[in-house]
Amino acid sequence: MGKRIATFWSLEWLGLLPLAAFTFLIVLPIVWMISTSFQSGEKMYQLTTEWIPSVFHWENYPNGLSRAAFPRFFLNSFIISAAVMIGNLIFCTLAGYGLSKYRFRGDKILLLLILSTLMLPMEVTLVPTFLIIRKLNWLNTYQGIFAPLLIDAFGIFLMRQFMLRIPTDYIEAARIDGAGEFKILWKIIIPQCKPAIATMAIFSFRDSWDQFIWPLVVVSVDEYRTYPLGLVRFGEDYGNPPTEQMAIAVLATIPVFLIFWILQRSLRTGFTMSGLKG
Amino acid sequence: MLRIGRAQISVSRWQLGYESRIQLWGILFILPTILFFMIFKYGPMLWAIYLSFTGYDIVTEPKFIGLNNYINIFKDPIFLQALNNTLIYIMGSTIAITVLGLGLALIINTGIKASRFFMSSMFLTNIMPILAVCLVWRFLFHPYGLVNQFLSPLGLGRIDWLTNSYLALPAIIIVTAWRFAPYFMVVFLAGLLAVPKEIYEAADIDGVTPISRFLRITLPMISPIVFFVVVVSALLCARIFLMPFIITGGGPGGATRVLSMLIYETGFSYLKMGRAAAISVILFLIMMVFTILQIRFFSKTEEY
Repeated sequence: MGKRIATFWSLEWLGLLPLAAFTFLIVLPIVWMISTSFQSGEKMYQLTTEWIPSVFHWENYPNGLSRAAFPRFFLNSFIISAAVMIGNLIFCTLAGYGLSKYRFRGDKILLLLILSTLMLPMEVTLVPTFLIIRKLNWLNTYQGIFAPLLIDAFGIFLMRQFMLRIPTDYIEAARIDGAGEFKILWKIIIPQCKPAIATMAIFSFRDSWDQFIWPLVVVSVDEYRTYPLGLVRFGEDYGNPPTEQMAIAVLATIPVFLIFWILQRSLRTGFTMSGLKG
Repeated sequence: MLRIGRAQISVSRWQLGYESRIQLWGILFILPTILFFMIFKYGPMLWAIYLSFTGYDIVTEPKFIGLNNYINIFKDPIFLQALNNTLIYIMGSTIAITVLGLGLALIINTGIKASRFFMSSMFLTNIMPILAVCLVWRFLFHPYGLVNQFLSPLGLGRIDWLTNSYLALPAIIIVTAWRFAPYFMVVFLAGLLAVPKEIYEAADIDGVTPISRFLRITLPMISPIVFFVVVVSALLCARIFLMPFIITGGGPGGATRVLSMLIYETGFSYLKMGRAAAISVILFLIMMVFTILQIRFFSKTEEY
């Protein structure tokens, strides 16, 4: 008995060390980003890293924002990410419900067709999707940016998996009571799917917030540029200090972080089922 | 009588319609998604396949040129290099993500104190915008950057991570692992928690060593999760664009140019849409292999 407790303790300490070391390595670049965003420009080119700036240069934030139309870029990113998030919330919930609680001829083929779109990401369909948006005359518009991102098979799959666990008896009982299909979805199904919905919300927001290659192709004017496009060009313009670029990178992290923070509790449950996403 | 008969007929008709009316609702719920995927996924893919047999520069009409695009790209050393880079990147990143993710999950699963703290701090890598990740790491890998500062006690000298053609792709794989391993750690952890405790208790009584405990019990029990993580991270890495685009710009000498970057350059810098479509089809075929594996995995682990 004593021996078992001893091995247990030594195992615990053996594991703690690499875990702490790895967590340290994981967190370090993030700390570096935040610290650099407050650093003075010249300090960047020194050979040692000053982790806590001797002087906090808060002005990096307003200065960085004013180098280009960043407030506008962030607004554009917000509009697009919100549209994509709402689109996913509506259509993935509907499709997930349809695929999990209804049986009809061809339902398995439909599920397969939907899952198969995971092999058709934007990187693969870039050229023809651009040609479609161009035909629609949607280049340099909000709808041109968010339309192709509105539904993601990942969200449908997540919702379907979650809804499969809800007993069908509830639905039958509600139907006998004369509830309509939409009402059943709204009153019975959705309240039980909160973890899955929270997971989908944060992933769809983060993915469109991160979206780069697609806006790069369809947007060519500042009016509709998203923040990643502005942030990349920021470094290319001569004389823009990297400290200010880091300041904008910190600002760009905050919205996703806040959503994550708010939805954290629901995420813990939804997360274990969401292994499809990275 | 007639009235009753009619009422009876309409009732039975209504009852017959009841089931199919419910089915109709199911189809109705899925319909917008199907239409969307037709327009923005399957339609474009078919169009890409068509375009891959043509020469098209946006200005003039597409001209049918048969298999020429495919013949040309497979003669093109730049394409072959990008294909090679993509495959190496997929393999390297997938191995790194799987090994690190599983390792971390195993440690956390021993019930270490403060594991929740470790988990949530690690999770920060996953919510940071990927562009911010790339910009930060570009600075960290700078010859005078943090990575070399950390390695300096080892006496390796100043390593040119991003301008050395042998180190640039491994550097990007390191960033990939940094970003994704903590996420897949959570997936592994869910799998580990599902292994019945009784099995371990029985093994403890039999005095099984920790190593054979891992190889004989844990690994076989979670092998479906391992397979799943491998396939999903391979899919994720096959489409990588932003990391090489920002961190190295595809350099040095194309050592980190991947297929998605080549599609972008060919199609939108050189306006060779037909040729870019042909490269897209190749990337699609790579992704299809992993997707088929993934779907087979789903249909094996659960009944549709």
